Amino acid sequence: MIDHLKHWIRRFNVWITVGSYMTLAPVGYVILAFLCFCWRKDPIRRARRLQAITAKAYRFMHRWLGWTRITVFDHRCALPDLPKGPCVVIANHPTLMDVTAVTAVMGGACSIVKPALFRRALISPLLAGLGHVEGPGKDPLRIGKVVDDVGKRLEWGLPFVIFPEGTRSPRGGLGRFGRVAFEVACRANVPLVCLTITCEPVYLAKHVPLFSPPHPTPHMQIGVLAIDEPGTLGSDSRALRKKVEARYHAWLEGLAS
Amino acid sequence: MSDQLAARIKEIIVETLALEDVEPASIETDAPLFGEGLGLDSIDALELALAFHKEFGVRTQENDENNREYYHSVGSLVKFITEKQAEAAASEG
Repeated sequence: MIDHLKHWIRRFNVWITVGSYMTLAPVGYVILAFLCFCWRKDPIRRARRLQAITAKAYRFMHRWLGWTRITVFDHRCALPDLPKGPCVVIANHPTLMDVTAVTAVMGGACSIVKPALFRRALISPLLAGLGHVEGPGKDPLRIGKVVDDVGKRLEWGLPFVIFPEGTRSPRGGLGRFGRVAFEVACRANVPLVCLTITCEPVYLAKHVPLFSPPHPTPHMQIGVLAIDEPGTLGSDSRALRKKVEARYHAWLEGLAS
Repeated sequence: MSDQLAARIKEIIVETLALEDVEPASIETDAPLFGEGLGLDSIDALELALAFHKEFGVRTQENDENNREYYHSVGSLVKFITEKQAEAAASEG
């Protein structure tokens, strides 16, 4: 009975949270747009500052989700040995909250955004100002430009987050890894940080919609699986992907057992 | 002619992408190359585009909405390369 009540309270909290977001988000967008305009002369500095602000906003969001018992995630979780400079960060992708959680933990990070979202009139300047990169969309050959753009962001000194599966992970599993993350790490010769993300019970996966939060409260955790220097494998993105993909599968098998 | 071209394309795919466990003849002409089929990704597509340009003189335009269709399978690549070569021959002639 108490569990049932808690579940309904959490569902109510989700509605309140979404309502608050819909009300406050336009204010946030206006502030970001204003800052984007003010700092337009130096795109690198602008991206760094806006990323730091975004990370703070995501930290607040995760704190709020914790207070309302929708999800529990401590962004202050210690991630040892993270590189100080530019790096490519990859992770499995169990829930929609992965991007915000990783950004909160990293203190800001650029990512590849789907063209349909990147080209939306009001959002586009903000995403560009934050240093995000437009994805290839349906044309596989546009990936060349994406790789070049990601390389530029790494030159700016910003970490770059890529989910190598390209979409959310299948339930309890792992999709096939694409090669973009590994290719850019090899070309830019920057460390490849492999993060693990768990969310138990899983929420905002493909099969768990926003307004059906699971019970008990989902706990999200982020850990470092390994950090690779591309040079150790001769900067061969194919070999690096193979090694890292095998490592993630081993980690998942360990979790299952 | 198209069988020969298909066989050569299969060889180029295996050579360019260093697919160690794949025999060119085992690639089905109409099977999808990306995702479910041979499991290639967009970086592979980029490498193949360069290899086809080098081998057949056919340039794949970036931002062409039909690229996904052209690179769907070996069969669609045969059609694409044949058409492009015919276009080039016509413009030269």
